[in-house]
Amino acid sequence: MSDTSEEIGERIALLLPRLRRFARSLSRNQHDADDLVQTAVERAWRHLDQLRPGANLASWMFGIMKNAWLDNLRTRRRRGEVALPEDSGDHPAVSPIDTEAGLWAVSEAMNKLPEEQRLAVALVLVEGMSYKEAAGVLEIPMGTLTSRLARGRAALAAELAEEARGDIA
Amino acid sequence: MKFDDETLMAYADGELDAAQRAQIEAAIAQDPGLALRVQEHKALRARMTGAFSRVLDQPIPERLEAAARVGTRADAPARGNVIKFPARVTRAPSPPWGAREWIAMAASLLFGVLLSWRLLVPGNSGLFEAGKGGLLARGELARALESQLASQQSGEERVLIGLTFKTHDGNYCRSFVLRAAHTAGLACRVDSEWQIPATESSPGPEAGMQQASAALPPSILRIIEARMEGAALDAEGEENARLDTWNSSP
Repeated sequence: MSDTSEEIGERIALLLPRLRRFARSLSRNQHDADDLVQTAVERAWRHLDQLRPGANLASWMFGIMKNAWLDNLRTRRRRGEVALPEDSGDHPAVSPIDTEAGLWAVSEAMNKLPEEQRLAVALVLVEGMSYKEAAGVLEIPMGTLTSRLARGRAALAAELAEEARGDIA
Repeated sequence: MKFDDETLMAYADGELDAAQRAQIEAAIAQDPGLALRVQEHKALRARMTGAFSRVLDQPIPERLEAAARVGTRADAPARGNVIKFPARVTRAPSPPWGAREWIAMAASLLFGVLLSWRLLVPGNSGLFEAGKGGLLARGELARALESQLASQQSGEERVLIGLTFKTHDGNYCRSFVLRAAHTAGLACRVDSEWQIPATESSPGPEAGMQQASAALPPSILRIIEARMEGAALDAEGEENARLDTWNSSP
């Protein structure tokens, strides 16, 4: 490994805003999102030996977060805490920032997507990754990414349109 | 040519190569429905990016800053490095609405006010005049609508003509983009005048996009879709309509 752990620590710290945004797009509120970031960062430190020299730290961290998120959902589902992602029990915390930026509506719509589509949408539309980079993080072929993204987008657009109609009614 | 939704999506995301892009842009120029679908893809992307971008400006919780550097404390190889470390810890997260953002918002608001003022005050910009039934094209805009062919534009013209089509009541309409004013609009020829039923601020044609229709805002595209009878005119149809001086025949 070429970098010292100070350098790695600094680079992870610089990624925190993006990691929080990615986590927020997968979670229902910022608190859950920050728990996910913490889990991912701790995992990254434990498995630092798996980071290949010259590999993209951001892609690697996003991949770890993806796995942590999926593990988390599976565990909660096994325990019977959630039947489906959208039934995550307590009402989501709505912070002023959520409502201000129209974040809440978008976040709720994201929450209704199947996991695989949510990941594709989060990486491409929220994080702005190229299809190639997103497919790399998710460890899936480009064609799979494209079809998940297309389906996720269509469902999201329908959900947001539905919700806009609900607001007017 | 038919394009499936995945291809349009990839186009909206900037994932296609130059040859594929050119094909789609040519198709968009003829088909406002296609243009609208691309716009919807772009709009959803912008909404998603915009909604979550606020997270980037929030202060980072202490516990995450600590977690990011936990390994630094656990197996720091050189103490000397650790000492200078805290200085770099203090990231300055940008405040949600600093002076810069307020100034930017005020500026864009002022720009919008100036823009509509320039559009609406008769004779001020020389491109519009308030007529009985609404705005009428004047000056360079009227000349472009009357004589400019979309098929022969270099992309450098101050007024870019986009789609030309016939409406349900048999009149000709043409979409246009005023490049300098970042304004897109629709003009329809009624009683020898180019009436302007709609204008909208527009980001302007994107780099590498010669087709003015690609830059039309969704609101304009929807009006076009509602009014258009059949398909948009191709280069030949456009030229014939001009030869007939836009006099519609049933």
